[in-house]
Amino acid sequence: MAELSPNLRDDIAALLPRLRRFGRTLAHDREDADDLVQIAVERALTHSHQWQPDTRLDSWMFRIMQNAWIDESRVRARHQQTFFEEEAGEHVGETTNDAQMDALAVRKAVSQLNDEQRAVVGLVLVEGLPYKEAADVLGIPIGTLTSRLARARDALQVILAGPTRARL
Amino acid sequence: MTTWTDSSLIAFVDGELGSDQSTQLQAALMTDNALQQRLAAITQQRARVAAAFAPVLDEPIPDRLSQLLRAPAGTATVPTVTIPTPTVIDLDAARAKKEQHVAEPAVFTVAPRRAVPTWAQWGGMAASVVLGVLIGIQLKLSTDDADLGLQGGRLVASGIIEKSLTTQLASESGRGTPVTVQLSFVDKRGQYCRTFSTAQMAGLACQEQGQWAVQHLAVIDATPNTGMRQANSALPRTLLDAVDQRIAGDALDADGERTARAKGWRR
Repeated sequence: MAELSPNLRDDIAALLPRLRRFGRTLAHDREDADDLVQIAVERALTHSHQWQPDTRLDSWMFRIMQNAWIDESRVRARHQQTFFEEEAGEHVGETTNDAQMDALAVRKAVSQLNDEQRAVVGLVLVEGLPYKEAADVLGIPIGTLTSRLARARDALQVILAGPTRARL
Repeated sequence: MTTWTDSSLIAFVDGELGSDQSTQLQAALMTDNALQQRLAAITQQRARVAAAFAPVLDEPIPDRLSQLLRAPAGTATVPTVTIPTPTVIDLDAARAKKEQHVAEPAVFTVAPRRAVPTWAQWGGMAASVVLGVLIGIQLKLSTDDADLGLQGGRLVASGIIEKSLTTQLASESGRGTPVTVQLSFVDKRGQYCRTFSTAQMAGLACQEQGQWAVQHLAVIDATPNTGMRQANSALPRTLLDAVDQRIAGDALDADGERTARAKGWRR
């Protein structure tokens, strides 16, 4: 069972858009997010014998990404301070409508959550995983997942409401 | 009168509330404006977060990622990556360090996924502004969608939706029909199920006692403050996930649909 299923490559390739999106909820910065996807894909291919075909491939990949993200925390800390400037610069002249403005504000708000909260937001709110599945990805009980999710939602609400209130 | 906690409402929006409670909540929503507003706030937040990240799906995949997954030439049994990866300075060292404790995959108890589901393309297309399993509000507010009704505690298709589910082949959809039917399949209980969408919502209905019982419903959002819209034929991903979890075998082809239709979708 050590051989690589030819389908696995295709299946992972088909998941790339979602893996990149999940990466963006974790890492915020596009390059960092893609680095994370790259690491996860490489690990998945190297360890493809561990893949169990009767399970969800997206969950398996998300789990590898989440673990890689935790491992990367030290590397990440070095870069963290430049994130917001880059994001702001990257989108100058590009933010032409309200939807894009709102998307930027929401992504920035998500980036201000802690690691645990970003992971549950990414898995449940963005990727739409059922609680059970998301809890398995993170290796936590469902009760822990739901309380993290509730705190993340509250925190997002506060962050997103904050500046607007201040201006009024 | 039941007091609905935030956590119940959140569970409902996330599609995680038990079916009994969901039915009760849907009934309560019909008459309780304050409850509708609380639910709408949670729903809107979820939609807003999903919408903020949805555009990532449409970005071109960077070469360095797609190259990793190109099949190695001449063999299908190479166990490791043979294509050199583009250099990303920090990664190599980090990777070497971490290879030793790569995650063991968890054993998940969900439906088998077949290679490249035929409907995967729709998941990519959907801007996925999905408002969860939001039944109550939409039923009450949108008269266009009165073609669903509560019956004996179940939500069942009626009117044009029922007619479309019963008579319309997937291949006939989309030519000016008010309801689009995308997929037909047999679920794990052995019943026929079909997905459908209207301009306002998309759903999954399965045969139960001669009726099309709605198992999953997603509101297709046209939220003014995000401007996101979704094509009528694009199924929200949560719905596709629901299909994935229920389907036994493959989706029916046109002949399979004709046969099932001829038997009145009974097995």
